Parts: sequence; C-alpha cells; structure tokens
Amino acid sequence: MEAINFLLNGEETAYDGSAADRLLDVLRDSFRMTSVKCGCKEGECGACSVLMNGILVNSCCVAMGAAEGANIVTLEGFRKTERFAVLNKAFAATSAVQCGFCIPGMVMAAEALLSKIPNPKDSQIREGLSGNLCRCTGYNAIVNAIHIAAKEGNGLW
Amino acid sequence: MVNGYRPASLQEALEIKKTTDAVPYAGGTDLMVENRKGVSYLFLNGLEELRHIREEGDYISIGSCVTFTEALESDLIHPLMKEAVAQIAAPAIRNTGTFGGNIGNGSAKADSVLILFVCGAKIRLASVHGQRTVNMEDFYLGRKKLDLKPEELIVEILLPKRGLDNYYYKKVGGRNALAISRVSFAGLLTVENGRIQQMAAAFGAVSDTVLRFRDLEDRLSGKTLDEASAIKEELLSAYGERLVLTRGRVSAEYRKAVCMNLLKDFLEEKGI
Repeated sequence: MEAINFLLNGEETAYDGSAADRLLDVLRDSFRMTSVKCGCKEGECGACSVLMNGILVNSCCVAMGAAEGANIVTLEGFRKTERFAVLNKAFAATSAVQCGFCIPGMVMAAEALLSKIPNPKDSQIREGLSGNLCRCTGYNAIVNAIHIAAKEGNGLW
Repeated sequence: MVNGYRPASLQEALEIKKTTDAVPYAGGTDLMVENRKGVSYLFLNGLEELRHIREEGDYISIGSCVTFTEALESDLIHPLMKEAVAQIAAPAIRNTGTFGGNIGNGSAKADSVLILFVCGAKIRLASVHGQRTVNMEDFYLGRKKLDLKPEELIVEILLPKRGLDNYYYKKVGGRNALAISRVSFAGLLTVENGRIQQMAAAFGAVSDTVLRFRDLEDRLSGKTLDEASAIKEELLSAYGERLVLTRGRVSAEYRKAVCMNLLKDFLEEKGI
C-alpha cells in the first residue's frame, strides 16, 4: 500500500491512512500537532489554518490525498522562527490573546499576510484575517499586534 | 493511496474517471464540508494541464484547477470576474477553491458561476472519447444537475474578452467575509453608435440555477438609451412576472424585492 508522503514542519512524513481523511484530523490525531484547532469543519472559522506550500489553507478542507508532496507548516514549526518571535511579542504587548483558541490560526494568517504584504494597511490586515473568527477580543487588539509586528520585524518579511 | 487516485496527467485522470466512481477533487473547499464516508477522490489539484490562464482567440481560457487567488493575481482576468471572486469567502478558501469546483458543485449561489452566465461563457469538458464545449447556460440543467456525463471532467472555462467593460455587480450577503450569497446580480450593457447591442442580466442564488431571460434582454437590442428608458417600466414588470423565486435562507418575497431593486439600479446606472 502506498503511503502519502509530505513535509511536516520540515520533516519527511508518511501517512498510510485514507486519502479522504482531513488534514486537520491527521495533524491532530496522528501527529499530535494540537495547535491546529477544530472549530467548524467547514472552512468558516479559520482555527485550523496551516500553511501548505507557503499558502494559507483551512486544514479541515484539505483531503490527505491533496497533501501528497506538499510542504505543511503548523504553528509548531513556525514557532521556531524569528518571525514568530516578533509576532509573539506583539500579540503579548497588545493583550491580543484571551481564550487562545483562535490564536494559532490567527498567527498563521498573520504570517501569510505579512509574507505577501510586509507593511499592510489596516484594511489589508482585516481582509487578511477575515477568515479567522475570534469570539473574545473584538479583533482590534489582534489587528494592532500585526501593525506592531510589521513595524518591529522590519526586514523579516 | 487508499480511497484516492493521484493521476500524473489529464489523460490518466480521464481513464480513471471512466473506470471508477471516484469524485473529482480540485480545491476541496466544498467537497470536504460533507466528506461523505467511504468516498474516493480523483485528485486533480496537481495537474499542471488544468492550471493555466491564457488567451485563446476571443476568449480567456481558465484551467478548471485555477484557484480564485491565482485569478485575482492575473492580468488576464477581467475586473468583473475579479470583483466577484474577491468577495468569495476569505483568503484561505480563495487560495484553494477553484473555478472548476465552483461550477461542478452545481449551486446557483456560486459567485463565479453568476459571472460566467452573464458573460455567455463556455465550458470545455473532456473524456477519453474526446472534448466538447458547451454554453454555461446550457450546462446547468437544474439544482445540482449538470450536463456532465459520468466519464467527463470539467477542464476549461472560456470567458469572452469583449463586451464586459460596462458592467454592474452586486452580492447581497449577511456579512462581508465568509458570506453565502442571498441574492447576487450581474448586468452588462454594450452600446455601439448610440444603440444598445446587448443587455444581459443574471440573477444568482434565487432559484435552482442562475436565471437569465434572453427574450426580455432582447427587447432592448437596437434601441437608443432614450428608447430603452421609454419601455423600462414595461420591461421591469415583465421581469417581475418571470422571476418566480424559491425560498432559501431568506424568503422568496425578500429575494424578489432585492432582484427587482438591483435590476432597476443597474438600468438606471447605465442611463436607462
């Protein structure tokens, strides 16, 4: 039986289950990447956001067969980077984290946004986070954190 | 691969399509919501043959696995299509969702499908037996019913290059991001030498398929804007009779009122 091979946070990884399984479930249950949260399983909340070949995706809406050969990065991998350190500090500075459930997805969405637009306007940040729901913060603290990260991390993105 | 096929070429994909009942998978954003138990997928997302955007005579050809984000970043895609596609869901969905998937899902709420209807786009289908090209309007037979044979795959969308510049587009949803259209409307008007060549009006999310009424559109052909204005009320009441809408997430009465308001606004904005 042919396994599904992909890179997970830089490491060669093989999955020998069904190609129809959700990337979200496989990341959590088989590889214990528990930063990836399950909020809705229908692409509405963004809590399961990961990077696939550098592009932001909802891992609940990706079947494992589509991840064959892909480079998957979750927060567990991203947290080892300098960019994460800048985002981490900025989120703390604005108290952008309350219950924390949406935050891994928010941070991955922020990374995807800043990779495309290193100095985003307020409206661009809100557009970049528009697929990530937060029920605690009212978003402003998160938006401010990304403004700060863009400024402090000058040159990193 | 268990429960999945990952063809290396379109030809191989077509052979698998003919011999199995695997479900074609492009972006997965609609399919994975249900992710039916025991389903097998035919993964098309890795096929470069389905990922082009290029000029083809009077059309722009869009491969069925082109994502909405890729379309937004292309200079070849008309602003009307970009305006509609930019309002689909949110970045992560636009990054994976595709034109082929939006069509293949068979919903009258699909935001790119409305534009394909109003533009008179064509769809290219392929099977191991060859290719055929159908008009978008003929391809949608009813709710979730497509003119697609079991062995066929959607491979290309042909978007006309001309006649799109004088457009009108509105999506009415419950919120800005991640909104499923409650009513969507697109209108086009081409005027040459002071006379209307064609008026097109398409209504999305209000019935089993996107609605267009060619005979009503034709009433304005050949008329000046003033002549068209003179028969506007008559035309609007004809639309009122023909727009028999179904109830969905919102009432049929609400949908009808919004459709009529948008049609009127479109005509007035264009000088009729």
